[in-house]
Amino acid sequence: MMESKSFPGNVDSLDSLREYVGERAQQAGLAKKPTYALKLAVDEIATNIILYGYQEAGLEADFTVLSEITEQALIVILEDIAAPFDPLARELPDSGDLTKSLEDREIGGLGIYLTINGVDEFSYEYLNGKNRNKFVMKIAST
Amino acid sequence: MKVTITDQDEITVVEVSGDIDSKTAPEFERNAKVAMDKSKHIVIDLTDVGFMSSAGLRVLLMVYRNIRSQEGKVVLVGVSEEIQDVMSTTGFINFFTIVEKPEDGVAFLKQD
Repeated sequence: MMESKSFPGNVDSLDSLREYVGERAQQAGLAKKPTYALKLAVDEIATNIILYGYQEAGLEADFTVLSEITEQALIVILEDIAAPFDPLARELPDSGDLTKSLEDREIGGLGIYLTINGVDEFSYEYLNGKNRNKFVMKIAST
Repeated sequence: MKVTITDQDEITVVEVSGDIDSKTAPEFERNAKVAMDKSKHIVIDLTDVGFMSSAGLRVLLMVYRNIRSQEGKVVLVGVSEEIQDVMSTTGFINFFTIVEKPEDGVAFLKQD
């Protein structure tokens, strides 16, 4: 069953968002490391929504977390009503960028890189006027 | 998140507790700058930091560049396994000295 919870679109929500994702991860039986990776991924994408989708555009709105626990996976979807933004459309740092000295490197794209790297599946779609960022964490079979 | 700054001889210790995200990173950055104005030998104690997003990595990048430009040194203390994973994935880990205890950090900076 899909569970839905909304948060005000400002950075004060990040703390409670992570806590909520942590609760869902616990319900799904995710281990400590995948739980952290999922919290980080959701935090990074939510930060982009809040700072760029909403605040920079002068938009005051909520975003919604949809989540579902199946036998195989914990699925989390972030839904927002900001202008269409596909996190996968921008160029991500490659292995050359990530081995560069910290003095020389560009800092952009790290959040999205961590997101994609940390979850089992990440996808994006724009549907019915909403950005939908979807995160999937597989549940280890016992 | 809370940040405390203390001086130990020529070394400034920045102790952070709580989560570092895009809400709290500006406060972490402000304190790191204060510490670097005081001293070019900095210990950043992250023992009580359970979560750090890329907003925190940006602050560490700023610290690294600043310290390098004044030929100082920075040591990170008590970095959780999860945060070390993130630093490793992003290639940050090779540029920082990480120790377990604050006193190890101070000892490292006093070596030379």
